[in-house]
Amino acid sequence: MARADTLARARTLDRPELAYLMRFPTADGVRDLELTWAELARDTEWATARLREHGLAAGQRALLTASGFEGFWGHAVIGALRALKVPYGIAEAMGWDHRRTAVFHRELTPHAVIGLSAETLEGLAGMTDIGEMFRSTPVVLARPTAVPVLRGVGVTASVISAVGPALALECPERSGAHVNAAEWRFGERDGQLTVAAGEGRTSPLPETPLGITGRVVVSRCGCGSDNPRVLLAEAN
Amino acid sequence: MVGDRDTADRYFEPQVETMPREELRARQEKQLLELVEYAYANSAFYRELWDEHGVHPRDIRSVEDFRARIPFITKDMIRAYRSRTGDAFAGLLCVPVEELTSVSSSSGTTGDPEFFAEIWQDAPPLVTAQVRDLWELGLRPGDRVLSPPGTFRNFMDAGFQALGAVVIEVDTWMGNMPEVVEALRTYRPAYLQMMYPQMVELEHLAEKTDLKEAFSSLKGASCAGQPLSRKMKERIRDDWGIDVYEYTSAADTGTAWECREHDGFHLWEDTVFAECVEVDEHGWHDVPESDLGELVATDLDNRAAPLIRYRSEDLVRLSRDTCGCGRTHARMWVAGRRGDETVVQGRSVVLRDVWQAVEDQPETVAGVFQIVRDRREVDELRLRVGYDPHLTGDVDALAGRLSEAVRERTGVKPVLDMRTEEDLLKTMTSVAKFPRVVKT
Repeated sequence: MARADTLARARTLDRPELAYLMRFPTADGVRDLELTWAELARDTEWATARLREHGLAAGQRALLTASGFEGFWGHAVIGALRALKVPYGIAEAMGWDHRRTAVFHRELTPHAVIGLSAETLEGLAGMTDIGEMFRSTPVVLARPTAVPVLRGVGVTASVISAVGPALALECPERSGAHVNAAEWRFGERDGQLTVAAGEGRTSPLPETPLGITGRVVVSRCGCGSDNPRVLLAEAN
Repeated sequence: MVGDRDTADRYFEPQVETMPREELRARQEKQLLELVEYAYANSAFYRELWDEHGVHPRDIRSVEDFRARIPFITKDMIRAYRSRTGDAFAGLLCVPVEELTSVSSSSGTTGDPEFFAEIWQDAPPLVTAQVRDLWELGLRPGDRVLSPPGTFRNFMDAGFQALGAVVIEVDTWMGNMPEVVEALRTYRPAYLQMMYPQMVELEHLAEKTDLKEAFSSLKGASCAGQPLSRKMKERIRDDWGIDVYEYTSAADTGTAWECREHDGFHLWEDTVFAECVEVDEHGWHDVPESDLGELVATDLDNRAAPLIRYRSEDLVRLSRDTCGCGRTHARMWVAGRRGDETVVQGRSVVLRDVWQAVEDQPETVAGVFQIVRDRREVDELRLRVGYDPHLTGDVDALAGRLSEAVRERTGVKPVLDMRTEEDLLKTMTSVAKFPRVVKT
């Protein structure tokens, strides 16, 4: 197999430990942070556990909508779907690509739609009843600004979002998006979220205000997790 | 900066890339015979089609048998099968859906998108087949690349990372070029993928930004989705100092890239069996290597849903001569799409002539235009043209000049619909394609 041979050759290269240099907005401008393969593996493991809580399992299908610069969390989600043996379709998160989202949704009948954006919903609303479209989808993980739109039409959507350098993912309890406490320290200052890197991260990140309005909940979630949750203002 | 031409390790897989053609042919024959058996056993679409044509895998014992007996397929045939059966994969799927890793799709600019079923380990198939091309461009472990704008055919990152490159997460889609320029200066990447609208936007930045300095860390940049015009290519290479590598679709089986010689698009013939033919009501025949024909492609490395003798509608010239780079795999030169020609009151109008006329006006030098038609034969040539408002004082005067320039090149006076470039580019519904021929 030609491609398998190509990748076998690629595996012989002396590759760096670094996979991504991610950039994220903070209250004081854009900041970058290194992301290693070891960290990606841990992030993938964490995302796998979260998606498993939503009931994703072999035999189902998913639809992921994302943009090209979202690989740092896209990698973790795709890795999780692969670990769970859930094939995924992929469309852009940008509003003008809503038709492909509609076709994937119609043809693949996904068990989960992950990463829906408000822009995609706006495009879809011009051609279909989005409530009818997504109410029958068992798991809808939407970006913060899309969540109120979906909930407004009776779709039980949960939040998925990059919050600074971390992925936040709401469990089926829908009482705030979990973040991985083993990797990140979230806090709040003047109603704004802050983040700092945990000891295990390669790149140091001191407490950094993110410019995101929200709260941190540290009490045990109904799902049994002790991971803290972030309540994002724009998702409510 | 032009790519490093002194790199000794030019080939990523030298034994494959420079394989003597007889060996390549023998390898393809083996792959084709296996493919025919496999597809007949596992694909409802091919089994039905080949049964209708009285073809069975036992009849296929050579490349010649394959070409003589296996029928062509077209996009319309696939759509018809899907419509008739309700099967999203149109009967092409050779494995249960559960065995797929992912499903990407075509842009869907001319109808419902076509699905591409994918099975993969380290990296999705499309970008994996580009690893050799990226190596040729000069990408090496430790280099940095800017993330591409979309996820059109899956995330591309894994392909770059397979080569040991580090991906810098930057939104490189329309409207973000100042940020891209800043990222180029900050992170000094070796590679980025560019799309047509980005170039139009960069063109606007060029007056107040030293793009040559900003791009100076690049070993190369790629561009796909549509051919670059002569003027745009000169601008990118000469004024911005970028060694730009165009690539195009290998009839939906993968992609075909220019090498450093910039003399045609290499098809990786261990992944695709390519034919260049003329098809008419009497049948088909090969076209001589110097002539234009339609690219017909067969997937040789796709066990999920292979395309077999797929008519691409791409008009190409194909050569199997060894390239100046030493690679033995065929190259093609793309002339356009079958069906893109418009006949206006009996007179043939081709995109290239319109493009030239549009580019010759300073206000429309970016070449943002579309032919608007609901059928191939029309009474009037309707053109939608994007202009740069910063360079345009009098739109009516521009329209007058443009109309005359188009008439001179095509013999047809057009009906013009003038828009700003931004307005026209906003109508794009794909990161990969700006459609040149539209219905409305």
